[in-house]
Amino acid sequence: MLAHLGLYRRLVLAQVRSQLRYRASFVMDVLAVMVTSGAEFAAVGLVFASFDRVGGWRLGEVAFLYGLVELSFGLMDLVFGGFDPDFMGAAVRRGELDKLLLRPAPLALQVFGSEFQLRRLGKVLVGTLIFALAVSLAGIDWTPAKVLYLPLVVLGMIMFFGGLFVIGGTITFWTVESVQAMNVLTYGGLTLMSYPMTVYTASLRRLFTYVVPAAFLNYYPALYFLGRPDPFGLPGFAPFLAPLVGAFTLAAAFVFWRFGLRHYGSTGT
Amino acid sequence: MIEVEHLSKHFTLRAPTGGGGALRSFLSRERRVVRAVDDLSFRVGAGEIVGYLGPNGAGKSTTIKMLTGLLVPTSGDLRVDGVVPWRARRTYVARIGAVFGQRTTLWWDLPVIESLELLGHVYRVPPGRLRSNLREFGELLGLGEFLHTPVRALSLGQRMRADLCAALLHDPHLLFLDEPTIGLDVVAKERIREFVRRVNRERGTTVLLTTHDLADVQKLCRRVMIIDHGRLLYDGDLGALQDRFGGERRLVVDLAEAADVEVEGARVVERDGPRVTLAFRREDVSASDLIRRVTERHAVRDLSVLEPDIEGTVREIYEKNLLGA
Ligand SMILES: Nc1ncnc2c1ncn2[C@@H]1O[C@H](COP(=O)(O)OP(=O)(O)OP(=O)(O)O)[C@@H](O)[C@H]1O
Ligand SMILES: [Mg+2]
Repeated sequence: MLAHLGLYRRLVLAQVRSQLRYRASFVMDVLAVMVTSGAEFAAVGLVFASFDRVGGWRLGEVAFLYGLVELSFGLMDLVFGGFDPDFMGAAVRRGELDKLLLRPAPLALQVFGSEFQLRRLGKVLVGTLIFALAVSLAGIDWTPAKVLYLPLVVLGMIMFFGGLFVIGGTITFWTVESVQAMNVLTYGGLTLMSYPMTVYTASLRRLFTYVVPAAFLNYYPALYFLGRPDPFGLPGFAPFLAPLVGAFTLAAAFVFWRFGLRHYGSTGT
Repeated sequence: MIEVEHLSKHFTLRAPTGGGGALRSFLSRERRVVRAVDDLSFRVGAGEIVGYLGPNGAGKSTTIKMLTGLLVPTSGDLRVDGVVPWRARRTYVARIGAVFGQRTTLWWDLPVIESLELLGHVYRVPPGRLRSNLREFGELLGLGEFLHTPVRALSLGQRMRADLCAALLHDPHLLFLDEPTIGLDVVAKERIREFVRRVNRERGTTVLLTTHDLADVQKLCRRVMIIDHGRLLYDGDLGALQDRFGGERRLVVDLAEAADVEVEGARVVERDGPRVTLAFRREDVSASDLIRRVTERHAVRDLSVLEPDIEGTVREIYEKNLLGA
């Protein structure tokens, strides 16, 4: 296990080194990511220029949702980049997966170590800034429990989105075309989780509560942090499901991954 | 070392039923089975270099993918040192090396040396062993001049050399080469052949090699296997193959002065002033006997023996499926 972590560290460091070798282009990449990410949030801010509240939430509260999911997704993208269906699809077609399978290290570990893009920190940075803004605007009543729970929420979201990446990446073993449907779910989920559930229609809300349990990852934890009542009357433990939902999604995703690998072994590319 | 018995790999394709595109072909019940490898049996012993030949689509790469544990056979038995490759992937691949000529195993953006060192860690090669292997292979393959160049900036020949080194860093006793000389110039090819020969001779590494360049086979392999449509057409000695199908060897004689040459076991096929070309078969007469017979009767200025053209031989086998498949 320790040896595996050591190998992961080496694989990641090697990529970081090569990314930093072209410093100017790296800086440009990071800036581009930050500008895109920042501009998207600026559009949200503009809405609040004419409306005081959106779905009953103030700017600081929406920023809390927005910043938290943005920074979690950025971290996920950094760590799970190798599973990103768009990357994995291309890798499978180029026979990169065969290359990894020919090496005596766990495959998932090698995939984790195959696409560590430091520029994704741009998104993390913007997310963190938005989150900091939210904390200063929303006037959160911090308790030790809240401080301890916050990283678990981030972890939950990393595992959830990571699971979606793993599932999408696995689908590329069968078909590269159908992956777009998975991307709609992943990036749609990301956008959806950036706003309070109260802005959505009842059917959409139910879909993202009971079918794809995205609401438990960001919205319900936010209610807890912001001290807002739950308008939908779910049990009091609803805000604390985030790590569980994340862990479950990721575990299920890796079961599917194993299944996909078996299929890959029988068909190749 | 390699034991293959009745090995088959069939791919099922949904046959496109003309028009209608992807959805239609997805829905169509019609399926086509490609027998990429079909009832293949052979053994390879330790220390051999075996040439694995066949026209495009014959099933060579599919065989190698099964032998390296990447593909699971549809049926049949496949063992390497008693191990079933795909069942024990990680322990198995630690003991083999593989180069797929069309791809690289190295990190595109890293300098060659960093890629190689990283692979050393992936394979857990002891540092001392890694260093001595790097030194030895680096020298034999002439990696020195581009060790610090990123892989993406290498020429094809340089990349192939680096890949060969990468495949051998962990001292595998079995090496699979799938078209290792593809796209290379004559000098680069020769260098790679020399290297493979040396590794085989000095380390006893068993080599299974596919290629479309018959010079590779001629220079490296005693034994060849020829496959087409997934079936083995020939497995045996390269020389015997040439005798059996390639027919005759030639003896070119430069006589001191023009004369009629008549010797037992050979016939004249060409006459050009003092130069006479004789054709003969290995089973009728050996080259040395023939030369003795010629020199007994004639004053000879120069002699040379030409082996039959393997290229033609193999082409004939591909075209006619001579072995009656
Ligand atoms: N993953 C796959 N799915 C479906 N068919 C495949 C797959 N891989 C190979 N085939 C088919 O199997 C047959 C054998 O292919 P293979 O790549 O083994 O040939 P090869 O001898 O290596 O040819 P080449 O000399 O062109 O490299 C071909 O008809 C090919 O189209
Ligand atoms: Mg091939």
